[in-house]
Amino acid sequence: MAFLRVIPILYVASCSLAVVKENFKTCEQSSFCRRLRGFKAEVSPYQLDLTDLLVTDNALETKLINTETNSHFKVSLSAVHGDIFRIQVDEVMGLYPRYNPQYALNGEPQPAKLRVVDKSKEHITVQYSDNKATLHAKPFKVEFVKDDNLVAVLNSRGLFHFEHYRTRPTESENEVEHQKIEDPGAWEENFKSHHDSKPKGPSGIAVDITFPGAMRAYGLPEHADKLPLRTTNGGEPYRLYNLDVFEYEVDSPMAIYGAVPVLYAHSPKHTVGFFWHNAAETWIDITNSKDENVMSSLVNLVSGSKESSVSAHFISESGIMDMFVLMGPKPRDAVKQYASLTGVAPLPQYFTLAYHQCRWNYNDQDDVTSVVANFDIHDMPVDIMWLDIEYTDGKKYFTWDPVKFPNPDEMVNNLTSTGRKLVVIIDPHIKREAGYFLHEDAVANDYYVKNKDGTVYEGWCWPGSSSYLDFYDPKVVDYYKGLYAFDKFKGTTDDVYIWNDMNEPSVFNGPEITMPKDCIHHGNWEHRDIHNEYALSHTIGTFKGLVERSPTRRPFILTRGHFAGSQRYTAMWTGDNAADWSHLAISYAMCASEALGGISFCGADIGGFFGNPDMELLQRWYQAAVWLPFMRAHAHIDTRRREPYLFSEDVKNRVRIALRLRYAHLPLWYTLFYEHETTGEPVIRPLFYEFPEEAEVLDIDNEILVGNAVLARMIAEPGVSTISVYLPGGPTEQWYDIEDFKMYQGGTHNIPVSLDKIVAFYRGGNIIARKDRPRRSSSLMHNDPFTLYVALDNKQTASGTLFVDDHASFEYRAKKYLYLHLEYADNTLTSNLIDKTDYPTKEWVERVVIFKPPPGVKAATLTSKTLGTVDLEVAYTREHKALVIRKPGVNIREPFSIKLY
Amino acid sequence: MSDKYDMVDKTIDDVYCRLVDNVSDKVEVLLFSKTGRMGLQRNSNLNKTLLIFSVFVCETISSQVPRPRGVSLSRASLYPPDKDFTCFDGSATMPFSKVNDDYCDCYDASDEPGTAACPHGIFYCTNAGYKPMNIPSNRVNDGICDCCDGTDEYASGAECVNNCAELGKSAREAAQLRAELVKAGRQVRAEMSQKGVNAKNEKQNKHQELQKNKEDAEKLKEEKEYLKNEAEKLENAALEYYRKLEEEAKKKKVEEEAAKNRAEAEETFKKLDSNQDGLVSIEELQTRTSFDKDHNGEVSPEEAKWFLNDQEQVDLDAFINSCWTSVKPYLLMDSGMYTPPSPDDTTGSEAQDMQEGQHEGESEGNEDEEEETEDDEDTEEHEAPEPVHEEYSVTYDEETQKLVDQANTARTAFQDAEAQVRDIESELQRIQEYLEKDFGPEEEFAPLQGQCFEYHDHEYIYKLCPFDRTCQQPKSSSSETRLGTWGHWSGPESNKYHAQTYDKGQICWNGPARTTIVNIDCGSENKIISVSEPNRCEYVFEFVTPAACHDQLDGDDIRDDLHDEL
Repeated sequence: MAFLRVIPILYVASCSLAVVKENFKTCEQSSFCRRLRGFKAEVSPYQLDLTDLLVTDNALETKLINTETNSHFKVSLSAVHGDIFRIQVDEVMGLYPRYNPQYALNGEPQPAKLRVVDKSKEHITVQYSDNKATLHAKPFKVEFVKDDNLVAVLNSRGLFHFEHYRTRPTESENEVEHQKIEDPGAWEENFKSHHDSKPKGPSGIAVDITFPGAMRAYGLPEHADKLPLRTTNGGEPYRLYNLDVFEYEVDSPMAIYGAVPVLYAHSPKHTVGFFWHNAAETWIDITNSKDENVMSSLVNLVSGSKESSVSAHFISESGIMDMFVLMGPKPRDAVKQYASLTGVAPLPQYFTLAYHQCRWNYNDQDDVTSVVANFDIHDMPVDIMWLDIEYTDGKKYFTWDPVKFPNPDEMVNNLTSTGRKLVVIIDPHIKREAGYFLHEDAVANDYYVKNKDGTVYEGWCWPGSSSYLDFYDPKVVDYYKGLYAFDKFKGTTDDVYIWNDMNEPSVFNGPEITMPKDCIHHGNWEHRDIHNEYALSHTIGTFKGLVERSPTRRPFILTRGHFAGSQRYTAMWTGDNAADWSHLAISYAMCASEALGGISFCGADIGGFFGNPDMELLQRWYQAAVWLPFMRAHAHIDTRRREPYLFSEDVKNRVRIALRLRYAHLPLWYTLFYEHETTGEPVIRPLFYEFPEEAEVLDIDNEILVGNAVLARMIAEPGVSTISVYLPGGPTEQWYDIEDFKMYQGGTHNIPVSLDKIVAFYRGGNIIARKDRPRRSSSLMHNDPFTLYVALDNKQTASGTLFVDDHASFEYRAKKYLYLHLEYADNTLTSNLIDKTDYPTKEWVERVVIFKPPPGVKAATLTSKTLGTVDLEVAYTREHKALVIRKPGVNIREPFSIKLY
Repeated sequence: MSDKYDMVDKTIDDVYCRLVDNVSDKVEVLLFSKTGRMGLQRNSNLNKTLLIFSVFVCETISSQVPRPRGVSLSRASLYPPDKDFTCFDGSATMPFSKVNDDYCDCYDASDEPGTAACPHGIFYCTNAGYKPMNIPSNRVNDGICDCCDGTDEYASGAECVNNCAELGKSAREAAQLRAELVKAGRQVRAEMSQKGVNAKNEKQNKHQELQKNKEDAEKLKEEKEYLKNEAEKLENAALEYYRKLEEEAKKKKVEEEAAKNRAEAEETFKKLDSNQDGLVSIEELQTRTSFDKDHNGEVSPEEAKWFLNDQEQVDLDAFINSCWTSVKPYLLMDSGMYTPPSPDDTTGSEAQDMQEGQHEGESEGNEDEEEETEDDEDTEEHEAPEPVHEEYSVTYDEETQKLVDQANTARTAFQDAEAQVRDIESELQRIQEYLEKDFGPEEEFAPLQGQCFEYHDHEYIYKLCPFDRTCQQPKSSSSETRLGTWGHWSGPESNKYHAQTYDKGQICWNGPARTTIVNIDCGSENKIISVSEPNRCEYVFEFVTPAACHDQLDGDDIRDDLHDEL
């Protein structure tokens, strides 16, 4: 009840900036959502005909019948490598083909062996490792068992529904009674002034899946909502439909820019994932038994017990029903299983993890130069300058404003002379202007998305009248990637990277600010079928362009619209947020959710895009953003300038410290991204990921783990002098405040905080390699030495890794790298190379800092091949919180050991 | 780490004395004589501006001052190589070998002036031939040449070219150009200042003169007022007779009018009283379309009742007293003779009453026979009663006429005297405003007042009218947007005359009122050299004017920088 009282206050506080909700559909306003959410059956009318069964090594296929309509479907259940089941349902002899996303999966999933262990007319059970799946025939239901525990049941609530394609009855003829769809929007529907002609009629699909024992569900990005998914009964379902929502609000299930339809049901015992592989508009109802007394009966039905459970109801407008059940058993397993399907982010260039400075817009090339010069004058690091849409000549992408940016080469050279880079924006809408080469090429060669009647679709966006490239056509991608060539996009160099915005796609005069669903893409797919995948198709084109343009540089692309699989090509950010405490507060939850959805390279605009942050908010935002993978400040054109050097000495100092802390941890971020690429583990992690057995962490989303070694707690409360932080792991876990090295045991702690305070901890048992020498930009730090922070656990041990390469090229894929395993045990720190690789580097070890060191250490000796045995000085810091080993001086390429005496 | 000390270029510049190092890592210094400080002298024999460097003296002092890398000569003594080194903050003491050993031992960074080991150290580059520089030590060996002598990149592999000589040369050239500019500007400034002072004096004199004139004019005004009053007394007395005649005529006219009005009312009553029962009823009015107030084609009972002063029916007296004023305008309107004061005015009688009241009030003392409905806005203000109303074009006897003429003359004379006082006062006001404006310590900015300067970029024409306003006009249209109104001088404390603020410009859509900062620098002519909008709706003009070429700007400071320490 206390929580209910809080709501009106929050509501009032966030009134100044507000989304216009009327521009976007509710479930009730969307015909298929209305139809399928309302679909109820005492007993599911869907039944399997197990007499019609085909079993192969990896899959079984059988027939599914809707006994009410007598429509037939084929169902297949297959085993995918890595403890994954896949279930696909499609129409038999459907009137039209159904769409299956083309770009989300990282290639065809690798099949695994499956064997039938039990079979009757009523059911069939298959086994794969310690995973079992049982198909029940009447009614249709699939049970998933992990290690003899029932962990998921598909269609346990009988909400499975599949609207087969049918012909539209003429007015005179009555529709076949049992196939009738009463909903007035089934064959065409209107929203505001927009008409959706729906030439293929109703085609919705839906299924429920229940997770017995689960206590929370997570995932389904992108929503500006808390990390744990809430029960949606009685309210709006979570919606996945990539939309450009102006001034989106927080704590809302509304659709925003991205859609990643993967969900994780979690309990301390097991974690299961569910990936709904569909690119059409999707709504998901969530029911958590803790919120719903009604649910207990449903749960009992399923599990026969009164334990907790979570259930989800997925509803999509069209497409094949294609589902993956990720069998866990732990969050780490399920997330890695998802990564095995949709891929991982390739190692980004080092600089991309540094600080990005953006604004809509830097006025001209002198402005860009002067901003960087000011960062240098005020000794604050920055790596990347960004140009928003105003750099173009009249919003014609791949051109430069001849007055404001007459010499982009000169500007870029100026940036690169101090190791900086440039990112420029390229959106997918193309200005319809005679004489604009891109438009003329697109018209001449038929590159644009079409209206339903085959004419070119025209929408309204930044340039005014625009059309949209159809990246579903291979010839368009071929053409598009060529636009990034240096001789095409004049003024760009290897050091210029790309920002793909507005690719939901955003259409100012379209329904819900996007493209009409009856538009047609290559392959005769309706926009309805592919909508959530459009941004991904756009960024794939850009990615190919950058690889071709700069074959020795890893591409960097930032996207706003995204889909499952986007991580393979792009970083993303949480779009047009606002200078409001609530938007800072939601940023960790949003990025943590994306990370679970495979997209680790995520950030939120520092300061908030809309509005002017006050000084406290701006500083807190910088401090919090140190711990998100993508760190960029951005601001709307109507806001006051807010480059951090513009403010008072106090503010500048705090921002400088935050930025330097970020730069000090770049080796950690870089190593984590390398490990993400090799293992699929997210770079940032919600607490439950590392501490799945701890009930206390289930709802924490103002704290985040960077890898498994750093815990950061954002301060998103204005004017506080004390904050409460929960440190997981129980009393045996040791956490060290990174600023004063103070040790805390697991549990809840109240910590005094000034405006200077950045609340972050190293977890005992880890070794963190930092570069503590500040520089103007990250590329100037490449040869700088490391300081190794050894945070001991209660067994006086610690370990860590460090990845080092040239920071930019693909050479690491040819074994040109160093991957260090650092270990501390028995008062000895050792470093060894994990892989048989090499990379000649000047980087060396400057210092070792051991937290909670053994007492009485007098000296240390370093042993390595080239240095032999060298005596090192040691000194305790005040209060003996740490021991500092002075200047080991060893090159990190060389294995070494340092022993304390 | 053998090269702990600066390796300094041995060449000696023509103009500057240079540091020279010897092989044993010790530094020999050619000290620049303090007495031979470079200065500027004007060759007064030549009319053209010529600046030359005076002769200066270099004394050669051989010293054995060891200097760790990154330390300025003045601080070299803080690093005696034969002693242990103690951090400046006293936090630690260490063997001297730990100075610049690429490991930060002191919290205050004092042990690592020549490496990037400490996060907030300062590295000093001598930059012989140019300005010495203190740079953050985090720029040491980062691969970027920050010092023109390249000393910051001694181990990074960056190939830095020593370009101090070139920089020094061009800096000196620039300084000289600047000095020439300032000098030329100072002359113009002096002229401007003179103009300003003259203008101010003129204004002040004018002010005094006007003050005096004002006193005289006020006296004259009093005098004329007295004469006017006297003349009017005589005139009034003489006109008393005619006024009585006039009043009688007016009274008669009013009575006639009232009788006519009553007759008209009676006639109307009879007409309206269709059933001749001596009462006009709602039903009777409903048959008359004249009373269809809302023009909907029928006269509703409510409409009819309104005309009957909310009665069901009225007799003749009641009709005349309380209904006729409402009815009459509608009948007139119907016959096209009357236009109501405003179309939505439904309280016709009240409006009419009010009009009458106003009319009476304003034409007090006048005999007025105008129609009550006539627009009365053009009624003039009269300070004195007009002797005769035109409509009563009475002919006065000769003597009266003479008095009237005399009074008229006196009135005109008084009005003229009064106007003169007003004119002087407003002129004084203008001068006062001018005198209150700050045109600089020597009035040097005063000649800019009243002028406007334009700056054309590709899209807009920007205009600065000093001490008045700034504005912006698109080239494609003539509509001017005000970017600011003269506010105040807003330069830094050291010289507030380096900038002006123009605020309270036109409000930006969805934003604040536009403001303009005009930065002012010395220039050979008055000119806007750039305009920018660093923040939305906050404009910055760079304006140069000779008025800003003052003594402190002769370039000494720049040249001081160039040879600091030497």
